[in-house]
Amino acid sequence: MAENTSDAPVAGGTKEAGLLNRFDNPWLNWKFLTGAGIIGFIFFLIFLGNQLWDTELALAGASPLNMPPVGFTNWRNQEGIPEHPLGTENSGRDMLALLIVGTPRTIGVGAIAASVGMAVGILLGFLAGFVGGWVDDVVRLATDVTITIPSLLVLIVIQAVLPRIDLLTMALLISMFAWATPTRYIRAQVLSMRESGYVQMARLSGVPTRDIMYREIMPNLLPYLAASYIGNMTGAILSAVGLELLGFGPQRIPSLGVTIFWSIEAAALLRNMWWWWGIPTVILAVVFIALLLINLGLDEIANPRLRKAN
Amino acid sequence: MGSFSLNYLLRRLLVFFLTVWVAATLIFIIPRLAPGDPIQAMIARMTQFEGYVENADLIIEAWRKRFGLDDPLYVQYFRFIGNTLRLDLGYSMANFPATVYELVGRALPWTIGLVGIATFIFFTVGNLCGALLAWYRTPKWLKVLIPMSMTFTSVPPALFSLLLVYIFGFLIRVNNNPLFPQVGAYARGMAPEFTLEFFGSVLYHGFLPAMSIVLVTFGFWALGMRGMMVTIEGEDYMILAQAKGLKPFYVLYRYMIRNAILPQMTALAVSIGTLINGSVLVEIMFVYNGMGSLIYSGIANQDFGLIQGTSFILIVTSALAVLIIDLTYPLIDPRISLEGR
Amino acid sequence: MEERKRHDSDRVVLKVENLRIHYATPQGDVIAVSDISFNLYEGETLGLVGESGCGKSTTAYGILQLVQPPGYIVHGSIEVDGTEVLNLEEEALRKFRWTGLSLIPQGAMNSLNPTMRVKDQIIDVIESHEGKQNDKEALRERIFELFQNVGLPNRIYNMYPHELSGGMKQRVCIAMGVALHPTVVIADEATSALDVVVQRIVAQTLVKVKDEIGVSLIVIGHDMGLLAQIVDRIAVMYAGKMVEIAPVENVYANPLHPYTQLLIDSIPSIKERKPLKITEGITHDPRNPPSGCIFRLRCPFAWEHCAEFEPPPITVEDKHEVACHLFDQQFEERRTNALATLANP
Repeated sequence: MAENTSDAPVAGGTKEAGLLNRFDNPWLNWKFLTGAGIIGFIFFLIFLGNQLWDTELALAGASPLNMPPVGFTNWRNQEGIPEHPLGTENSGRDMLALLIVGTPRTIGVGAIAASVGMAVGILLGFLAGFVGGWVDDVVRLATDVTITIPSLLVLIVIQAVLPRIDLLTMALLISMFAWATPTRYIRAQVLSMRESGYVQMARLSGVPTRDIMYREIMPNLLPYLAASYIGNMTGAILSAVGLELLGFGPQRIPSLGVTIFWSIEAAALLRNMWWWWGIPTVILAVVFIALLLINLGLDEIANPRLRKAN
Repeated sequence: MGSFSLNYLLRRLLVFFLTVWVAATLIFIIPRLAPGDPIQAMIARMTQFEGYVENADLIIEAWRKRFGLDDPLYVQYFRFIGNTLRLDLGYSMANFPATVYELVGRALPWTIGLVGIATFIFFTVGNLCGALLAWYRTPKWLKVLIPMSMTFTSVPPALFSLLLVYIFGFLIRVNNNPLFPQVGAYARGMAPEFTLEFFGSVLYHGFLPAMSIVLVTFGFWALGMRGMMVTIEGEDYMILAQAKGLKPFYVLYRYMIRNAILPQMTALAVSIGTLINGSVLVEIMFVYNGMGSLIYSGIANQDFGLIQGTSFILIVTSALAVLIIDLTYPLIDPRISLEGR
Repeated sequence: MEERKRHDSDRVVLKVENLRIHYATPQGDVIAVSDISFNLYEGETLGLVGESGCGKSTTAYGILQLVQPPGYIVHGSIEVDGTEVLNLEEEALRKFRWTGLSLIPQGAMNSLNPTMRVKDQIIDVIESHEGKQNDKEALRERIFELFQNVGLPNRIYNMYPHELSGGMKQRVCIAMGVALHPTVVIADEATSALDVVVQRIVAQTLVKVKDEIGVSLIVIGHDMGLLAQIVDRIAVMYAGKMVEIAPVENVYANPLHPYTQLLIDSIPSIKERKPLKITEGITHDPRNPPSGCIFRLRCPFAWEHCAEFEPPPITVEDKHEVACHLFDQQFEERRTNALATLANP
């Protein structure tokens, strides 16, 4: 995240040349493009993997146990074999197949939870921002309380009493907490836009409130909403991974977090089976960094002042 | 601006008590959503997991009495809320007859210590880095180095702790001993006491867990601070500060950082929940003696009372931390007063 | 106000020469200030007027070395008491600021640091330039005296900016501006954001303090009526050029430049209800100004000569300059005709 590289390649470094950059198309933002590129590339690999690789290998007992990736040896001095290029884990699941199957599941949980949360957030944010009065007070209190509660703890309590749940249920449970941050954010944006000149103008000229929302505020809010959605998705994936690391989540076809949980349970660290926990960890880390880059990029797209600062 | 029908202090207190009440209510409702007799079900699950449960009858008896399952629901509810508010959190089934209160009492200081120190570090370092990123006099090499140090920003702390443990607690070895310990909050065999040796051991053991939180978090604060500094650079009072011929460093801390830190404090209050989420998982990864590990042992043993109680206390701790930040805020922002306007 | 003493010193305290300031845009530079030159005399109050966007504030910020990017000074010379401001190194410039040139901003806006008490914002300027003040009692007395000069009550000493009214904030800014007795004070639209009554009182305070302390003052504004009462000379700017600079009574009684005439005509008056002169603002593209005279596109008297040659400033009498070909001796006939049209519209 070398922030300064953006103004490095300016030819000659003159004052004017430096200025030209900042008026360029805002969507040509290197953070946004890099982040989106990484996510796109990951999905491309998943697609390719689904076409070329046998995803049935992600099931337990499909392969020899504890094999290292090609070019490495495990503690039993076994060499990695090309049938399992990224190795296998201790119940005979092929790591490559696990990644192909598990990555979209983890991202998917986040996407679903973030979408539900976002929908509620938009509704409540607009409601609070526009109606005001006691509605606003209630929404604010509810968001403040929800944000204060560490969501993972409540989810743990729920998971502890519910029998094994599928990914969709998990996503919906996570979304119970994923609405608060967008609500807070959207409410603030709506309030500031409501006070802005062009919306006041529209109100004075008798444009109905609904039209003001859809025609005046929504379009200007879009980059903010996009940034908020990505941030929300990051949070939702974080919750999902958190629950999975505690052993909750689907067991037969695992997601990345569950894979890491099993590796920890099996003391993969001490057996130096780094491929087991390390590869999923690195992939998740890359996904998180890419989402952050997209988010920062969107922030700069929405807020010219930040763009100027680079 | 909107409707400030509640003044600042009242609002903050209301949020605190609402949070505590919501947490207690959730913990009351959730087990009752499970089908059948919750206690029977729990014991059954424990039996299923562990084969045999010691003192099963005693536990069932104790919990029956506590839940008073034969009473009407609202009576159960008020009794539960009453007990909870008195911090009577019942027994840990796995550690019967130890009460949840005792176990939590032992674990909570470790969590507060770990999270508190980590928070202090990432908030200070993050805001400083952000300020330096935005400041025009910061040397070029720092402006390259700081963003590079922020590479791991937004990686979940728990995952990052795996990497740290592997590298510093496994790969890098000095005299065949890992550079940092993998587990625990202090050296095995030591007893908690106020000695320098024990304190050193705590710092040594706490280093990797704290860094797991700090290294993935401070970048957020740096980015937020940088954004605020950029906004403040455009304020009229900055032009006047420049015109006044004040010393650059004075302008940096008294005009820029001083004003930019205000929204950062608000953001800190908002981030406490997420922070606790992260620290719970980090503690589990390091088998640290705190609340996270306590919850994990609850999960592992299907000890529902322990999970409930620990979660509740952590939620209250989180709400209390938010309340403290919110109540200190008026001290640093003269525009907000506790009396409200 | 009437018996206000005149300033006839011939000592130049501020000498601006060929100052040119551009704003960089991707479509090319906007010329905000175009090679202007003028003198400010000791003890004098100079008004800088013109419609919005004419470059009057940019000129002021240029003199103060506060042009914010994407603006930048292309060339020029700014001398204060013989010191070339543009040549000062960073630390020298910092020390020069507020002692040589100070600024009174639109204090009613956001010019005061919201997290600092009023006293601290005045103390920091004193201590930055005069070192740490150990005699706290004397320091406080000094600030009380400043308060008294601008008519502020002592109770605001410990207050924060948000606790003050707009007029009070403006007075704080004035007190701050003169705290170090600078050579030149520049007041940028210092009264514009206030309501009419407060505006007048603050303007009077400004002049009173200035006279007491004996600094030279540049007042930037667009309210010709208010300026007429407080300044000695007026400089009229149009599209980055200074078109006329003259003693205030000359400007009102006998405006020479066609643009000045237009401005004077636009002052509303209760005594005579004249139809408002509708004039569009600056019409040309500021990146690509017309050849010759900058005003010729809107000038009723323009002829071919105006498109070909840029009018140089012509001194018509003491301290009165006008940049218009009509006042060139060789076009005397045209001038007579033009004045005749004006007299009998």
